[in-house]
Amino acid sequence: MNILIVEDDEVARDHLAKALRDVGHMVETAGDGLDGLRRASSGKVDLAIVDRMLPKLDGLALVQSLRATGRKIPVLILSALGDVDDRITGLRAGGDDYLAKPYHMSELLARVDALTRRGEANGGQGDTKLKLADLELDRITRKVTRNGKKIELTAREFQLLEFMMRHSGQVVTRTMLLEGVWDYHFDPQTNVIDVHISRLRQAIDKDFDKPLLHTVRGAGYSLREDE
Amino acid sequence: MSLDQRFLGVLGTSPFRIAIAYSIAFACGAAALLLVVDFAVSRVVDGSTDNLIEAEVQGLREQVLVLSRSDFIELIEQRSQDQDVRGAVYLMVDPQLRPVAGNVPAWPKISADEGKWIQFKVAVPYGDEIREHEMRARRFPLPGGYRMLVGHDVQERQDVKSLMMRGLIAAVLLTLLLGLGGGFWMGRRILAQAGAISAVATQIMRGDLSQRLPVREADDELNTLSREINGMLDKIEQLTLGMRTVLDSAAHDLRTPLNRLQATAESAMGQFEVSSPGRRVLERVTSEVDHMRSTLDALLRIALAETGTVAREPVDLSELVNSMVELYAPVGEERGIKIDSEVEAGAQIQGSRQLLAQALANLLDNAIKYTQDGGHIRVQLRNSMGGSEVIVADNGPGIPADKREVVLGRRVRLDEARKFPGSGLGLSLVAAVTKLHGAKLLLEDAEPGLRVSLKF
Repeated sequence: MNILIVEDDEVARDHLAKALRDVGHMVETAGDGLDGLRRASSGKVDLAIVDRMLPKLDGLALVQSLRATGRKIPVLILSALGDVDDRITGLRAGGDDYLAKPYHMSELLARVDALTRRGEANGGQGDTKLKLADLELDRITRKVTRNGKKIELTAREFQLLEFMMRHSGQVVTRTMLLEGVWDYHFDPQTNVIDVHISRLRQAIDKDFDKPLLHTVRGAGYSLREDE
Repeated sequence: MSLDQRFLGVLGTSPFRIAIAYSIAFACGAAALLLVVDFAVSRVVDGSTDNLIEAEVQGLREQVLVLSRSDFIELIEQRSQDQDVRGAVYLMVDPQLRPVAGNVPAWPKISADEGKWIQFKVAVPYGDEIREHEMRARRFPLPGGYRMLVGHDVQERQDVKSLMMRGLIAAVLLTLLLGLGGGFWMGRRILAQAGAISAVATQIMRGDLSQRLPVREADDELNTLSREINGMLDKIEQLTLGMRTVLDSAAHDLRTPLNRLQATAESAMGQFEVSSPGRRVLERVTSEVDHMRSTLDALLRIALAETGTVAREPVDLSELVNSMVELYAPVGEERGIKIDSEVEAGAQIQGSRQLLAQALANLLDNAIKYTQDGGHIRVQLRNSMGGSEVIVADNGPGIPADKREVVLGRRVRLDEARKFPGSGLGLSLVAAVTKLHGAKLLLEDAEPGLRVSLKF
């Protein structure tokens, strides 16, 4: 993946570039909005990470200009502003995801991963059936089976599993789950998500030898088949 | 608003009331004026007529003494002919009351004493028709049993009087009608303007500071007032935007170095073995960054809610409460705490879903935190015509009555609560979010425990 970082803070930019290179991405950087827009429009970039407040051209203006030219590459907006409304304005301007500073690198990498593999990952929006190893989920009949055996889930557990299956093989963070499944954007302070995950784990992994739902230390969770 | 309500609304406006009061006063004034004029005119006109008749009576009394009967009759005939019948009237009758001379067809059958004033009607030809005319006269005896009547036609005076009476009634009615109509018109104008102003004010209260009161061309008080209020709103908007800018730059200036700190610590971490002492130090650093971030988030959200510069959207409060209960129920169950909920459907409000969710999360979080294992939490949403009320009650230790006000302030944690983790901003945020939504926050005793009520 060719990733463009548009960030004026050198420390943050270098750390971000290194982390992305470490996981195997090609990285291009820009220190201001105009340079960022030029590079993003070049056609060689697969994903852009754009800081909201940039010299020369504001991050939101950059994304709007990019969208106006018809470039559809995924954009992750970073922001050091307040929140609540800023998130909405960021997404309205054409951003695909929004992350407030300070962030954990694991959080950012998980989101980049989700953005780059969107669509290609297990089950695009159109698929009615999701499958991972012997676990199957039918979005129409809302039935879940593992190894042919029916698994009873609550409506929310079903949504949670559906989200995890659509991101199978990727790391999904707690905030991604709270946003994606509950549509809440706040810091829950307590272990709300962990409790819900452990219930889901009870339901899908308890009676089977190979666990599918894994905890990724310091990052979040991952639904995958272990080799 | 139905037509009826609008009509009744106009009747209640101050211009309408003032107009009614004034038109009644004017009507009374007009009536009084006319009555005074009528009284004065009557006195002058009646007086002069009576004097005239009196003088004529006196003259005839003297004549009858010096003239023979036939000459006297001649005199009466002459005088009667001289005058139009609507002017002076004469009648001389014999002892059998048969007319002898004069211009009145018959002796009026009035049993008043001789010498007193009498009023009677006489049919008078008036063009083609015959009209009854009012006469005022005096009678007196003549020698030989004959009798004499001298009087004057007062119909004209009566006509003027009744014309004045009719004019009076018409004037009073017209004044009342004009007052009523004018008052209604002014009332409607005021009501329309006041309605527009209150509609805009409601939107402003909801946080849309870009709204301005409507101002018309006219230079009336309401427009002047609206213009001044608009000026005030400009100032408030500037101040609020200024505050928002300060908040944004404060956020930026705090988040950027925190982010650098996080980045630096994370980069450095790679150089240490997992669970080596150096690594542990760096992990402490990042966990402190997390803590600072969540405090900063909470403070910023409180400030945002307090400046009121948060976008509003329709929020289904019932759905929100249900989903928050569903989110937190398993957390409670981990500690054997049961969360019961009783949520009435269809509670809609205008507000910020995310901030409301955060406030509810804080309340549930607190309730779980301060309730002992195996405790009980009740969440209710009551929805009525008067509004919605969200109640979160636990059976934990509660908050002493004298400290309930205090805990809503910034960073107050009661001594007993220090053993629990948290920023201490939870309830302050709840208070700010409730205020933002124009709701009322009440902390009460759940006997035992704390009962928090949010009235929207």
